[in-house]
Amino acid sequence: MATTRREFLKVAGGAAAATAAGFPAVARAQAKPGVPSDPVKIGILAIRAGIAAPVGTAGLRGTEWWAERVNKSGGILGRQVQLIVEEESNPKDTVERYRKLILQDKVEVVIGGISTGVTLALGAVAEEMETPWLSWDGTTQKGVEETMPNPKWAFKSVDNEVEAIVAGQLTRKYFKGVQTIAGINNDYSYGHDCWETYQAVLKKLGMNVKPVLELFPKLGVTDFTSHIAAIQQAKPDLLMSSFWSGDATIILKQAAAVGLFKNMKGVFTTAGGVHDSLKKEFTPEGLLLGYNTMYFDDPKGSPLLKQFVREYKAKYNEYPAYESDHAYFNIESYKVAVEKAYAQTKQWPTKAQVVKALEGIEAQSLSGTRSWRTDHIQMCSFYQGLTTHKNNYDFVTINPIEVVSTKTAMKPAGSKLLDWINGWKI
Amino acid sequence: MLLPVAAPTYYVTLMLPFMAYGVVLFGLNLLFGYTGLVSFGHALFIGIGAYTGAVLTTHLGVRHMELILPAAALAAAVVAAPVGALCVRYVKIYFGMLTLAFGMVFYTFLLKFYKLTGGDEGMRMLRPYLLGSEWTGFSKTAYLVGPYYYFSLAVLVLATLLMWRIVRSPFGLCLKTIRDNPLKAESLGVSVPRYRWYAFMISAIYAAVGGALLATPTGNVDPTLVYWTHSGNIVFMVLLGGFSSFFGPLLGAFVFIFLQDTVMSVFPYWRLIFGAVLAFIVIFAPGGLLGLFGRRRPVEVSRA
Amino acid sequence: MITNLVNILMGGVFHAAILFLVAAGLQVVFGVQKIFNLACGSFYALGAYTGVSAVGYFTGHGGPPALFIVPLALGGLAVGLIGVVVERGLLRFVYDRDETFQLLLTFALVLMLEDLIRMTWGTAPVSTGGLYLNYGQARILGATVPVYNLIVIAASLAIALGIGWLLSRTVFGRIIRASADNREMAEALGVDMRWVYVRVFTLGTMLGTLGGALVIPATAAMSEMGIELIVEAFAVVVIGGLGSMRGAFVGALVVGILRSVAISVYPELEMLLIYLIVIAVLLWRPRGLFGAAAA
Repeated sequence: MATTRREFLKVAGGAAAATAAGFPAVARAQAKPGVPSDPVKIGILAIRAGIAAPVGTAGLRGTEWWAERVNKSGGILGRQVQLIVEEESNPKDTVERYRKLILQDKVEVVIGGISTGVTLALGAVAEEMETPWLSWDGTTQKGVEETMPNPKWAFKSVDNEVEAIVAGQLTRKYFKGVQTIAGINNDYSYGHDCWETYQAVLKKLGMNVKPVLELFPKLGVTDFTSHIAAIQQAKPDLLMSSFWSGDATIILKQAAAVGLFKNMKGVFTTAGGVHDSLKKEFTPEGLLLGYNTMYFDDPKGSPLLKQFVREYKAKYNEYPAYESDHAYFNIESYKVAVEKAYAQTKQWPTKAQVVKALEGIEAQSLSGTRSWRTDHIQMCSFYQGLTTHKNNYDFVTINPIEVVSTKTAMKPAGSKLLDWINGWKI
Repeated sequence: MLLPVAAPTYYVTLMLPFMAYGVVLFGLNLLFGYTGLVSFGHALFIGIGAYTGAVLTTHLGVRHMELILPAAALAAAVVAAPVGALCVRYVKIYFGMLTLAFGMVFYTFLLKFYKLTGGDEGMRMLRPYLLGSEWTGFSKTAYLVGPYYYFSLAVLVLATLLMWRIVRSPFGLCLKTIRDNPLKAESLGVSVPRYRWYAFMISAIYAAVGGALLATPTGNVDPTLVYWTHSGNIVFMVLLGGFSSFFGPLLGAFVFIFLQDTVMSVFPYWRLIFGAVLAFIVIFAPGGLLGLFGRRRPVEVSRA
Repeated sequence: MITNLVNILMGGVFHAAILFLVAAGLQVVFGVQKIFNLACGSFYALGAYTGVSAVGYFTGHGGPPALFIVPLALGGLAVGLIGVVVERGLLRFVYDRDETFQLLLTFALVLMLEDLIRMTWGTAPVSTGGLYLNYGQARILGATVPVYNLIVIAASLAIALGIGWLLSRTVFGRIIRASADNREMAEALGVDMRWVYVRVFTLGTMLGTLGGALVIPATAAMSEMGIELIVEAFAVVVIGGLGSMRGAFVGALVVGILRSVAISVYPELEMLLIYLIVIAVLLWRPRGLFGAAAA
C-alpha cells in the first residue's frame, strides 16, 4: 500500500513495467497530441493521526485504489497518475503542506481535507494559490457562507449538516410518536451544527419534541458511563448522536451494557463511519443509522462498488466507509473534467480550464452518479436506515435502506441553512 | 537577505514560521536557558498573539501590522502578569505543571466558547497592511515572499537585538545568578520571584509577537496552536539548538522546521523519527547542536 | 432518585478506576525516581491495543469467550515488560540530569510510542467487540450496572491494595519507600539503585499497560488516546499529590466523581472544572492532598 510519494513511485513504476512487459499495446499509455508524456501529479492531503485517522485512511485507500485502476488502463489521456501524499494535521501545518504541494511539487490539483478547522483555512489558501482544490469533507456553514461565498478554485464536499437533515426527515417517518429527545454530540462545530439542525428539522416537520438533555463530550473521550447515567436520568424517548468514530462504538457498547435502548429510540446520524465495529452483540435492531454517502452492502450497488468492497476487505480485512467514496468521486471527477476540457481544446487543460469543466460535471462514484454544482458544492445521495441483525456479518447493517439525494436534503446554492429549512413547504 | 530572490518559493515561505518561531524561542529561552524555568504551556502566549491578530483584523477592522504586534504584546502582558505571578512562586516540575495547566485551560476556553472564539474552526486572520500599504497588487504568495518576508525579518532582527541587550544587561546577569544559585541571589538583595516574573513577562510578550507573525501565512487561527504538544515542540526546538547559547534557539527553530518538512513528505511515521531525535539530544547532546560544535561551556544539566 | 444517584456514583467510580490505573504507574515512578512520565498514557494505550490482540488471538484459536479476561490481563502484563527496555535503554542515561531533561525524554517516548502503535495496529479503532457484555449485569438499588465495570473497579481496588501491601509489607516495598525518601541514604545502606530503578519503572509501566488492557473491553482503542489521557492523569496526581499512591487513589475518585456529577448537573463545565481545580490546588496546596512538600 503506497502511502508516500516514494512508495507510490515504486508501485507505479512496477505496474508500468509489468504493463509494458506483459500487456498488449492497447493498455499502454498512448501519447495523445497536446498531452505531456510525463505523469500528472495530483496532491493528496490525508489525515494520518488522531481520532480522524480512520477517516483519512479510508479516503487515502479509496484514492489509491482508483489510481491503480486508472494507471493500469492507461492513465488520464495517456498520462500516468502520480499521487503525492502529504499529511493533514492541524491547520497551520496543513496549510504549509498545501503550499508545498503547489509551489514545490507543482501538482495540478490538490484533493483532500477532512477536519473543519483545516478545510476552513484551506479554503482561503486555495483561492490564493489559484489551483483547484477538491475537499473530501468538513464543509461547515461558516466555511461556505462567511469565508467563501463565491469560490473560484475550491470545491467543497456536501454540507456537514445534511446527515442531520436526513436523519430528521427519517425520524419523522419512523419515530413519529417521540416527544422528548436528548442529544450527545462532539463538542465542536460539527457536533453543535448537527444537533441544532436536527432539532430545527423536527420542529419544521411538525414534531413538537422537547430537548431534555444536551451533552457535548469532547472528541476523544473513551468513557461515557457518566454521560449514559445522565441520559438515563433525563429519560428521553429518543437519543440522537452524530458521533462518527470510535466513540460511536464505545457509547453503543456501554449503552447496551445498561440496556439503554430497551425503551429508547436511537438516531446515529454518522456512525456508519465505523460501521463494521458496531457488532450485533451490543448494537440493537431498530436504530436509525447513517452511512453518509456510501453504503457498502447496497443490494442495488453497482458492480464497481461490489468490486471495491471485495478487494478492500481482502486487502485490509475491514469493510470500507464513506470517505473512500468521497475520495474516489473527487479524483474521478478530476479525470472526467480533464477529459471534457481536452475534448474541446485538444490540449492538456490549464488549471482554470479544469475548474470550468468541473462546474456542473457528473462523474461516477462507487455509489452511483455524483456531480459538482456550479457553486462548487458536491451533489450525491445519503444512505440511512434502520439497523438489522439479519445478515451474514457479525455487525449490523441496515434494512430498509433510505436513499436521500442532496437535491432534497441540502440547501440550494446561495441560501442560508436555517432560512431554507424554515421555508420548506410541508 | 537575498533568499526570496535566490531560493525556491516554497522554501522562502518556510522561512516565515522559522522567523516567527525564532522570536518566540528567544523569549522562551530567556525563561529556560537564562532563568532556569521550563514552561510547558508557552503555546498559550503564541495563541494570544495569534488570536489578537485574528480579532483585530476580522472583527475590529485594524489591519496595520504595526498596530497588531504591539497589541499582541500588550495582550500577552495583561495575561502574563497574573499567570506569571502565580507560576513563578514555584520551580522545576511544579512550574512546568502549572504552566501546562494554564495552557490547557486556555485551550479548553478557546474550544468551548465557540461563539466568541470560533471554536475548533477558529478565526480568520486577514492579510495585514505593512508599512501602511495594502500591497494589493501582490498575490498572497508574492506578498508572503516579498514584503511580509522582509517585515518579519526586520521584526526578528529587532527582537534579537533587544534580547541581546537584555541578556547582557545587569538584569540578565541577575537572571543567570538566580538560575545557578537562588539563595545567593537572594542574599545579594535580588528579589527572586520578582525577577522571574519579569523574565516570564518578557518571554510571554516575545511569544505573542511571534504568534501574530506565525498566524499570517496560515490566514486562520485555531485552538490547536495552544495544545500542550505545541508547547512541548517549542521546548524541543530550544533544546535542539542549544539552550545555553544565545543563538541556539534560532538554530533549533531552523533545524526543526526544515527537518520536519523534509521528513514529513517522505515518511508517514515522522513522529517516530522526531521522538528518536529528541531522545538522542537529551541523552547524548543536551547542549543541543551548538553544544556539540560550539564553545565547551559547562552546561548546567545536573540536578540541584 | 436513588437510582440516579447510584448511576452517577457508579459512573464516577468506574471512571475513577480507569484514572487510577493510568495514574498509579505515574506515581510509582515519580515517587522513587522523581520522573514525571508523560508516556504513562502511551503505556496505557499500548496495553489496550495489546489486550485486544491477545483476546483476538485467544478467541480466534478456540478459547472460550467467557475466559477472555485471562489472556487480556496476561497480555497487558506481558507488554508491560517493555518497561525494562525503556529503562535500561533510554531512561538510565538521564538520572543525574535536570528534571526538565527527564521530562523531555518521556515526551520523546510519547512521540515514538504513538507511531509504533500506529505502525502495528493501524488507525482504525480497535476493540474486543461484545465480550464486554459477557458477564451480564447487576442491579444495585434499581440501577443497572454492567458486571464488567464492577470487575474493573474491583481490579483497580485490588491493585491499589496490592501496591499498598507491597510498599508496607515487603522488603522491596521498604526499599522503594526508603529510596523515595532519601536516595543517598538508601545507597549508603547498600541498596543498588540500578536494581531498584529498573524494577520500579517496570512496575510503573506494567501498572499502566495492565490498566489499559483491563479497561479496553468497556471502550475502544483509538489513535492518540495516550495523548488525551495524560491530561486527565495529570489532574489526578496534582490533586492527590505527586508520588503518593494514596493520592492517586483519592485524586482519581475526586476527578471521576466530580466529572460525573458535572456531566449530570452542569454539562458545559466538565473538563474546565477539573482544570480549574488543578490550578487551585497548585496555587494553594501544591503538594496536593498526600504529596511530599513542594520544592
